[in-house]
Amino acid sequence: MTPPVAALLCMISVLPSLAAAQEFDFAQLERQARTFTVIIDMKLEMSFGIQTADHQERFLGTIVTEDGLVLFNGALLGENMGAMAAPFTVKTTPTRISVTTLDGHKYEAGYIGVDRFTQIGFIRIIGAENERFTPVQFRKERHFRAGEWVALYMLLPEFVSPPFAADIGMVSSVIESPEYFPLTVGFSPIQMTSVLFDEDLEPIGVLGALANPSRGSDAGGMLESFDQSAIPLLGVIVGERLEGLIAAPPVKGQPDRGWLGITLQALTEDMAEFWGLPVSEGIIVNDLVANSPAEQAGLKVADIIYQVNDQPVQVDKEEELPIFQRFIAEFGPDASIDLSILRRNAGVFDTLTLTAQLSKAPLAAAEAPTYDVAQLEFKVRELVFADLLFFKLAPNAIKGVVVSELKSGGLAELGGLELGDIIQRIGNTAVASTEEVRAAFESLAVEHPAEIVFFVWRSNQTLFVNVKTDWQ
Amino acid sequence: MYRLVLITCVLSAPLVAAGIPSAVSQDQIYFARDKVLPALVHIQPVIQNYNTGELEKKAVVGSGVVFHSDGYVVTNYHVAGRADRIICTLPNKEIVDAKLVGGDPPTDIAVIKLDLKDHKDSIPVAEFGDSDSIQVGQFVLAMGSPLALSRSVSGGIISTRDRYFSPDVRLPSGERTGEFNLWIQTDAAINPGNSGGPLVDLSGRVIGINSRATFLANNLGYAIPINIVKEVVHAIMSDGKVTRSWIGVHCQALSELEDYFGMARDAGVLVSSIDPGSPAEAAALQAGDVILSVDGTPVSARFVEEVPAFYNLIARHRPGSVMRFSIQRGDRRLTLKVTTKELGELQGEDFECRDWGCTVKAITRQMQLENQLSDTSGVFVVGVKRASAAEDGGLRPGDVVDLINGTPIAGLGQFVETYNGFANSKVKRFLLTTKRGGSTRFVFLKVDRNESEATVE
Repeated sequence: MTPPVAALLCMISVLPSLAAAQEFDFAQLERQARTFTVIIDMKLEMSFGIQTADHQERFLGTIVTEDGLVLFNGALLGENMGAMAAPFTVKTTPTRISVTTLDGHKYEAGYIGVDRFTQIGFIRIIGAENERFTPVQFRKERHFRAGEWVALYMLLPEFVSPPFAADIGMVSSVIESPEYFPLTVGFSPIQMTSVLFDEDLEPIGVLGALANPSRGSDAGGMLESFDQSAIPLLGVIVGERLEGLIAAPPVKGQPDRGWLGITLQALTEDMAEFWGLPVSEGIIVNDLVANSPAEQAGLKVADIIYQVNDQPVQVDKEEELPIFQRFIAEFGPDASIDLSILRRNAGVFDTLTLTAQLSKAPLAAAEAPTYDVAQLEFKVRELVFADLLFFKLAPNAIKGVVVSELKSGGLAELGGLELGDIIQRIGNTAVASTEEVRAAFESLAVEHPAEIVFFVWRSNQTLFVNVKTDWQ
Repeated sequence: MYRLVLITCVLSAPLVAAGIPSAVSQDQIYFARDKVLPALVHIQPVIQNYNTGELEKKAVVGSGVVFHSDGYVVTNYHVAGRADRIICTLPNKEIVDAKLVGGDPPTDIAVIKLDLKDHKDSIPVAEFGDSDSIQVGQFVLAMGSPLALSRSVSGGIISTRDRYFSPDVRLPSGERTGEFNLWIQTDAAINPGNSGGPLVDLSGRVIGINSRATFLANNLGYAIPINIVKEVVHAIMSDGKVTRSWIGVHCQALSELEDYFGMARDAGVLVSSIDPGSPAEAAALQAGDVILSVDGTPVSARFVEEVPAFYNLIARHRPGSVMRFSIQRGDRRLTLKVTTKELGELQGEDFECRDWGCTVKAITRQMQLENQLSDTSGVFVVGVKRASAAEDGGLRPGDVVDLINGTPIAGLGQFVETYNGFANSKVKRFLLTTKRGGSTRFVFLKVDRNESEATVE
């Protein structure tokens, strides 16, 4: 165990014995929590490319609307789980979800999506249209201060009964940058998304982690992931933030993030000084995606964005780039934003303002539509923007679909297809979408050929792959 | 001790295990030994490595065999091709220096010349045999310095004549190797240090140059066939290098695809990929074309083992030659004329930037293709030293440096000139304009020269 973890556990064991903890009326807290707390049982299909496994997971859920919207810890379902390399994503798909209220009612639920920044997941209870649930009401515009006590109810492992336990912690600091975040001590990551109560027994938010700016929570795979092994800084995801998410929960496969279409780097103080710039923070535009909002707005490579809507861009380290990306993402698609930029012109920097009409962020690899070629035991998904960056391909350089799952020992693998292959043709039919793959296989299923030849792109070269079917 | 025991065991094992027929006599083995062992050379080169962001020198051990009475020795490129100093020990235990004559990364062959000015006696020379007439099962001897144990002989048989390895396997210096040759596989024990040593038949002729082995396996060693070596050595002796033609075509075995392309057996070579900007692309050759003949001579590559010979057929042309390809494209037969270009170096020359803490190399056309670069301008970052100005500035291996403080860098020569110019000036701040994965990126280097000099000295 690493020293910081040991220290954290140490704090947890010490804190509940402090005198202030006794001032919480835990009986009352439990009564209140029970009204909106549910247990979520989720059957998940986890795909690791060559292997697909079913899992049963149990989560603590919190009802947040009268019509049955429930939030939970969606970290396991997050779309950038282990997505270091775009084509080789770990994909987690909920296949069956049930919700049990603490008074014993059981419902089915449908999966909605996970917020990529807070990792809060959402499901909606279905088949209970006539019921009115009691949602949690988060207090908003609350002033947090270091030293105040906060409590929560956590879910215990399934073999324990009753399944809940109280825990108490303390606000240890009120973080202002990179975002407003009351930091806590005394809690652990297994309690994520538990509702937090203050000493007045008011729900003030849920337990969450401060999005580490050095973590690649990028829009469409624009940025490589940095160190992801850091111990999370836990604290309160406050009511205002939750209100926004609850009003428009993120829907899987329908990105509602704003997107500018640039690759970028941080303007460091050294560079600003070297160029003699009037600012020392900002974003340098490294590349523009063809026909992107950035290109249409007239941005150019090497432009320095130092303000967005007159707000300074507070980035001067590479690790802080995701702050800017998130800032843009949260404007949402179709938002119009003003970019104040510095552009070098004959050794002098001109100041100008450009207006960009953001567009919808491209799909991440795990969000892309897939098609299961069950006859040959592999799956394909559509080529996404992140693939182009990963494979260093120009947009439209290649059209095709990506081999995203391959059953070990299956026909496709035996024939020589590999994960990450970009299939350009099946037989003599060009394919550029999962829909075209489906159509191609529907006609092949009639012809029943003994072998199917794929024309694929792999490692910067093309080749032919012959997969034998078991149709004859 | 364990390793010694292993080697002792292996030396005698093939004789027993292979069940040497009575036709192979002890005298034949002695005969072969006496023909080649006196020409065996133990080589201790100091090789240069730029991969860690600084020039590192490392003493290694390999083997070689004298093939010319003036003291020319053939060995592996990975033994001596990147050496800045070479010390050799002759079988009579005399130590002499040697100099690199030339090397050929695609076949992993190098030629060095012994400094024999103080050597009074004439030096024994080994004779090259014919690797096309060898047979599987034939008894062979491997000679060299396994694990630096000089003058070692091991024995075994030829396990296969035509082992294929993907050229994706690279030499330590970064070059793809094996595109133009197959390997002779033998069960004669081959260990690190055997590299560059001869594989010898019982008539005492060298039939291969030992260069690879599969470790943690039992007696899987591989030698480059001597007929390939002879061509390469001849080119190095006359020009100092091997000049090859390149057209930018990649081929694939047809065996599983004959029905799809409607081809008869053993007829044609399938084109699987075309390099952008290549002569093949200019001649409108396409992936899926089947090449039926080249300059009127039928060609075929039904199995992967036949592909290197086809690449070699192209490579043997003088650069600038016009080759006539008769191809099958769908139902049509076409004749395309391709004007070859010179393959050139696979990897560029290296340079160490001590003040910055990185190493760079010239960008060759092959590097441009492999790294999907738009051209060969700039220099390629090979390595970045830990805790250096380059690392602090965010420079990474694979970046291409295009500009230094606004000065465009066309190639390595200009880079070195610019770098040295700054090194002799008081400039300590450098803004590099680089390319990473197709995007422009700025890298800022803060060099504290005094500190860096103190560290170096």
